[in-house]
Amino acid sequence: MSTETSKKAAGRYGMTIDIDRCNGCGSCMVACAVENNVPPAESGATDRTGITWIRVFQIDNGGRGAEKRSAFIPMLCQHCGDAPCVSVCPQQAIDVNPVTGIVEQMPERCLGCRYCMVACPYHARYFNWWDPAWPAGMEKTLNPDVAPRMRGVVEKCNFCHGRWHAAKQAGTSDSLSAYVPACAEACPTRAIRFGNLDAPAADVALGSQDPDSFRLLESIDTDPKIYYRSKKKWVREAANAPRPGKETPRG
Amino acid sequence: MASQIDRCFITRGLQRCSTSRFLLWIAPWTAMLIFGLYCAGLCLLKGLNQTNMDNRYAFGLWIFLDLTVIALGAGAFFTGFLLYILKFKELKAVINSAVVIGLVCYSGAMGVLMVDVGQPLRAWFTFWYPNVHSMLTEVTFCISCYLTVLAIEYLPIVLKNRKLREVPGFLVFEFELHKLIFVLAGVGTFLSFFHQGSLGGLYGVLRGRPFAFREGIFVWPSTFFLFILSAAAVGPSFIILTTSLVEAITKKRLVKQRAFDLLARISGLLLSVYVLAKALDTLIWINRTSPGRGFLASQYYDWKPFGTWILFTEIVLCGLVPALILLAPRLRAHRVWMVSAAALACSGVALNRFVQTVQTLALPTLSFDKFLSYTPSWQETGTFLAVTAYGVLVYSFSFRYFQIFPEERELKAAQVIEPEVEEPVSAGRY
Amino acid sequence: MFPWNYGFHWGAGSYIFLGAFYTVLVVVVTTLIGALLRARRDLRGNASESIRWHNDFHDLPAADRVCRHVLTGEFKQRECPHAFDCRQCQTHAQLTEHRPAAYSDAVEADIFGMSFPVDRFYHRGHTWAHPETDGTVTIGLDDLGARLLGAPDEVILPEPGTQLRANGPAFRVRRREADVRILSPVDGEVVERGDITHAYVLRVKPLPGQVDMRHLLSGAEVKPWLVREMERLQLALTMEGASSPSLADGGVPVRDIASAYPQTDWDAVCGEMFLEP
Repeated sequence: MSTETSKKAAGRYGMTIDIDRCNGCGSCMVACAVENNVPPAESGATDRTGITWIRVFQIDNGGRGAEKRSAFIPMLCQHCGDAPCVSVCPQQAIDVNPVTGIVEQMPERCLGCRYCMVACPYHARYFNWWDPAWPAGMEKTLNPDVAPRMRGVVEKCNFCHGRWHAAKQAGTSDSLSAYVPACAEACPTRAIRFGNLDAPAADVALGSQDPDSFRLLESIDTDPKIYYRSKKKWVREAANAPRPGKETPRG
Repeated sequence: MASQIDRCFITRGLQRCSTSRFLLWIAPWTAMLIFGLYCAGLCLLKGLNQTNMDNRYAFGLWIFLDLTVIALGAGAFFTGFLLYILKFKELKAVINSAVVIGLVCYSGAMGVLMVDVGQPLRAWFTFWYPNVHSMLTEVTFCISCYLTVLAIEYLPIVLKNRKLREVPGFLVFEFELHKLIFVLAGVGTFLSFFHQGSLGGLYGVLRGRPFAFREGIFVWPSTFFLFILSAAAVGPSFIILTTSLVEAITKKRLVKQRAFDLLARISGLLLSVYVLAKALDTLIWINRTSPGRGFLASQYYDWKPFGTWILFTEIVLCGLVPALILLAPRLRAHRVWMVSAAALACSGVALNRFVQTVQTLALPTLSFDKFLSYTPSWQETGTFLAVTAYGVLVYSFSFRYFQIFPEERELKAAQVIEPEVEEPVSAGRY
Repeated sequence: MFPWNYGFHWGAGSYIFLGAFYTVLVVVVTTLIGALLRARRDLRGNASESIRWHNDFHDLPAADRVCRHVLTGEFKQRECPHAFDCRQCQTHAQLTEHRPAAYSDAVEADIFGMSFPVDRFYHRGHTWAHPETDGTVTIGLDDLGARLLGAPDEVILPEPGTQLRANGPAFRVRRREADVRILSPVDGEVVERGDITHAYVLRVKPLPGQVDMRHLLSGAEVKPWLVREMERLQLALTMEGASSPSLADGGVPVRDIASAYPQTDWDAVCGEMFLEP
């Protein structure tokens, strides 16, 4: 157990994602890649070797024909309060920021051992299997506030750290500065909302307390900061089941 | 001319094949080594996209084989412990061979690890910014230290070469180092205890992978202790296996039966303890640990091809059965039974390491996740073939030019006097 | 790794972990350096030859390390605890004290057809020492040793002034594929070089004090020793693939045994007989 994760932060950045509103358009994925200088996939990359800090999964209710229903679940780093990845990094390249609660990664210190990727149950971590390369002309789209990562290191969502830095420098109050990460900004249905989970009036704080809200893999006690919400029972059951089509063993 | 020079380096009185035959033997292994180095070079230059690992299979063939090879190489520390600390003199016959095998296993594993990480030049970061809470830090430190210890233990074997010991400096240094070898054996045992355990701890601490997660004592999950036990149990078995193989290839008797007997007994005893502990641990995991994390253990085995046959094979077929064979005096006295049991035990440990590395990653954690499969690419396989070839080459050179088996001459004499007489099995120490 | 590194946390874990690591490092480095320093001390003190003999002795098969008193039947079984240096042995001192004087009369000079003069003292590595009237000691190969080497290809003798130690190397001989060092029976300084075909190979001036021949075989010990040596030679020849057992008990070995066994690994046979494993 890392001592860092047991410290309580002053506030915590978190998200609520309304599954009922998500239509699977994928704008969040594109906005994230553009904001964070994620390189385009190399030829030969598959859905298992490409980098997608946020990634939309589809779940179905198992029905056929007219009975079939689908829902979309955007998956990203859950920024766990008790992150399984922090204690396993041999180089201390991962840390839970005590001020913001964001699980931060230092690509410059990452050895590329990928132990954190094995530890993460949400599959939120991605490895640079190739050297990042942008086709000629595309380098003009690069975001100057975000450093690209080199081959052989792990990367993941960091709640648009560059934007937080900018907000912090512009802001004056002691409490967590308000800013919007790229995915929340791009989402056309406002399914993704971001803010301080500990500020009582904040959207996310209220959303997290909603009875229809749940977090993924609650039983393994990672204390994630992403709250998913759906009024549909089948969605809640499907998302929380230990495996597709099975009932949860505990309530 | 060349063969005359070659002969000068071979220990007096030992019969070794002709120089040309030796070159014929090492030629295919050298070719395999070169091919494997080319594969490793591709991975280093072009990146890990040369492998079939991906974001879901972050650990693949290399980590599985590393863990297996380190468990098998545990014979080095364990034999050293039994010989130099517990004074089981019979094991003098195999200690040199065990050290060579250990050196080959650990240096090979280190080599593969350097290719496996995304940024090998940053390897020193683990030493500079160590995270003392991470099992992988522990593994890195211990394996590096232990490889150093093994290299130092290998020095006396090299320096006792017939030509090298003509140099007075080498002769006296070997003599003085050998007097202190028990210190290195003790340090090696301490280091090995911890890194074998930490390799188990790597998986046992994974809170995010209920399949691998185990409860334990203090910071150490049960897999920490199970890995130590299984490594100690299978180390002697691997020595039995390799020695029998070398005897079969070279058509010589190299080790007295009493050494085999002792190794078999120790392996059998530790295997039985391991099987008991593993069975207990599995029961606790099925009934308490896994359900406590929200996952019923039975569901893991619904994913084909990893059915419950894997548990049965690992614990019963490759654990209990070889343990019983090795503990039965009448069975282990026969070469075929002993070697088969040793091979089963080694396979059992390989299977255990496979289950921990590959099966853990294959199983989905999220409900909308899938069971995924993985096949290593030819570059990955090639890199590991390089390690195998390297091992065979180092061992072949050591066998030819150094005295790996001190009982060889005595057994040569015994065969000449009474070639038909089988050595009686001694009563042993207990 | 060090407290001044960025990100270092002082905690129980760091103390234990880094403490253990540094301890291990210190122990390993100390052991290595300790061995190096001791080795340097040994080299400076010219102990390399005695260390070499010590190693060689312990690499000999157990059957070759028997105490000389087993040869004479005084012990049934005993391994020499002093690497054939009987000067240090209490047991040897006690046993020779009580040996009757008449013991030394009934000895033969001719054993198995080989000449072993009674006025010489024999080393188990098949050399003899003979104290001369002028205080020097002559050293040579005994008859079995000479027959083993026959007409050697090369004999490398030490320069005059070289210090010899008992059980240390005296000179080297090469014959066919054999390349052996012959052990010196006594301590001393080489004053004159002879030849392997002549009366003596080396003449040495012993160290000041008495000429100590206690550690060498003489008198009635020689024959039982030779019986064993002939058995050892037989075994060595058979082990190295000599096709037929040709040295039956009582048979006389030829002047040049090597020529009778052209296919046999003569290096191994000589190594066995001259105690160089």
